[in-house]
Amino acid sequence: MIMTIIVITLIAFILGIDDVSTKMFRRPLLIAPIIGFILGDVQAGLAIGATLEIMWMGIGNVGAYMAPDLITGTIISTSLAIMSTNGSIETAVATAITLAIPTSILAQQLLVLIQTINVSLNSWAKRLADNADVKGTVWLIYPPALLTGAARAVPTFIALYFGAGAIQSAVDALPTFVINGLETAGSIIPAVGIALLMLAMLKKFELWMFLVLGFVLSAYLGLDILPMTLIAIVFAYFYEMITRKTAAGANGANESSKNTGEEEYDL
Amino acid sequence: MEQKLTKRDLWKLFMRLNTMRITLNYETLQGVGFMRAIAPVLEKTYTDKEELSDAMHRHAQFYNSHVNCDAVILAVTAAMEESTGPDEKEGINSLKTGLMGPLAGLGDSLIKFTWVPIIGSIGASLAFSGSIIGPILMFILYNIVNIGLRYYAIVFGYKKGIGFLNDNQESNLIQRISTMANVVGLMVVGALISTIIKVQTPLEISTGSSVTGEVGENVIAIQEMLDQIMPSVLSLAVTIAVYHVLKKTKGSHAAMIIVIMMLLTIALTYFGIL
Repeated sequence: MIMTIIVITLIAFILGIDDVSTKMFRRPLLIAPIIGFILGDVQAGLAIGATLEIMWMGIGNVGAYMAPDLITGTIISTSLAIMSTNGSIETAVATAITLAIPTSILAQQLLVLIQTINVSLNSWAKRLADNADVKGTVWLIYPPALLTGAARAVPTFIALYFGAGAIQSAVDALPTFVINGLETAGSIIPAVGIALLMLAMLKKFELWMFLVLGFVLSAYLGLDILPMTLIAIVFAYFYEMITRKTAAGANGANESSKNTGEEEYDL
Repeated sequence: MEQKLTKRDLWKLFMRLNTMRITLNYETLQGVGFMRAIAPVLEKTYTDKEELSDAMHRHAQFYNSHVNCDAVILAVTAAMEESTGPDEKEGINSLKTGLMGPLAGLGDSLIKFTWVPIIGSIGASLAFSGSIIGPILMFILYNIVNIGLRYYAIVFGYKKGIGFLNDNQESNLIQRISTMANVVGLMVVGALISTIIKVQTPLEISTGSSVTGEVGENVIAIQEMLDQIMPSVLSLAVTIAVYHVLKKTKGSHAAMIIVIMMLLTIALTYFGIL
């Protein structure tokens, strides 16, 4: 078991650095199946990943605002859920959702701390600039990279090493109606992610019409996401064309600069 | 104007772009990262040590934009550093500041609010049915855009250089793509409401006549009734309710809302409403 925990800790370290550099694995659906594979339950990993992916769909760093840390949250909650529920995928998903929220928010505080520590890099960078030392700039990323990796790996190790037993007895002690409720919550809570997306995208009232259109095409006609997207591109093209023509008619320059201002406010 | 950077230099710029966010900090945000990324280009442009030092200072100032759009800004800046005379250097920073806001908005609406939800929902629906193809497909689709766009933007931005700006002002390209991405994203979100969120009630109304004592003969399941009026109507209602709560709180209490919804769902399941 200790070997498995060490492997997951290493993965947390690597994915932690990936999140601030290449950004190839930073979504729950891409992380949870890997954890599931290591713990020998890919199916649970897939189900947890899919649920968390949709739950956190609208979550992301916008501007300087720091979002809950999905990386640490997904790794810890998926591992603990699979380790402490014996085989039942539904219970594992319910446990993972419950754990994902506190872990993501706690881990977020560590990232805030790191960005504060990183302020010291500025004086280093200024010193390099003073000396016109281009070679020296290579080293600027190593201390913060180690720090970021550790900020993901250390909490993961602690949570898995000390938490697994506690979570297991907690899950065993929970009455069935709570587990059932959490399982149902798993398919309702994605509404939060979707509502967050709406909050970011509904900048004007007329844009609600596209939401209605998408809902109708999917709910009544049962269209899949892919044909849906292609239809959406057609509508997007003509909507953009119409709004541009109207704006050009009514002194375009003012109109478009006003719109940009509104967007930034809403974000 | 002659362009000095070779393919290898651009590759180096790309590699350093990839590690730009590691140095993110609260004073200059990506300032340190930007300076680090562009330093090799500056070294090639300026032979004089004083000039190089000035240029490095110039790019160690406050900077922040969207990950995939940093590429364009870096490359346009690189092209400008080469082509401008000594007295035009201040213009470079105002160009950077002018570009980072709109491009960050474009990156957010194109990738975060459109591409990620689309591929996330395709991947998730495959994963829900137990297929490993889901995450693999999402990984490939995500990184074609994520990595591909960054590299392409470097090459494109450098080639176009300052011309990119003139082109953009004429056609307002950034704004146009943003608007289109927004519409596509919203339609996909509308579709997600009915496919992803599942709110169903097991409640039933018994209309059996009490006179004949045949209770339970005519049981109407409320869910069936609702489905006939509008499929997924409960999902829509829940989403719009959450949206309004989020809007009132300016989106800052998402985690709290999730916790409240969990407790509420447990209570409602206990009483057999959900």
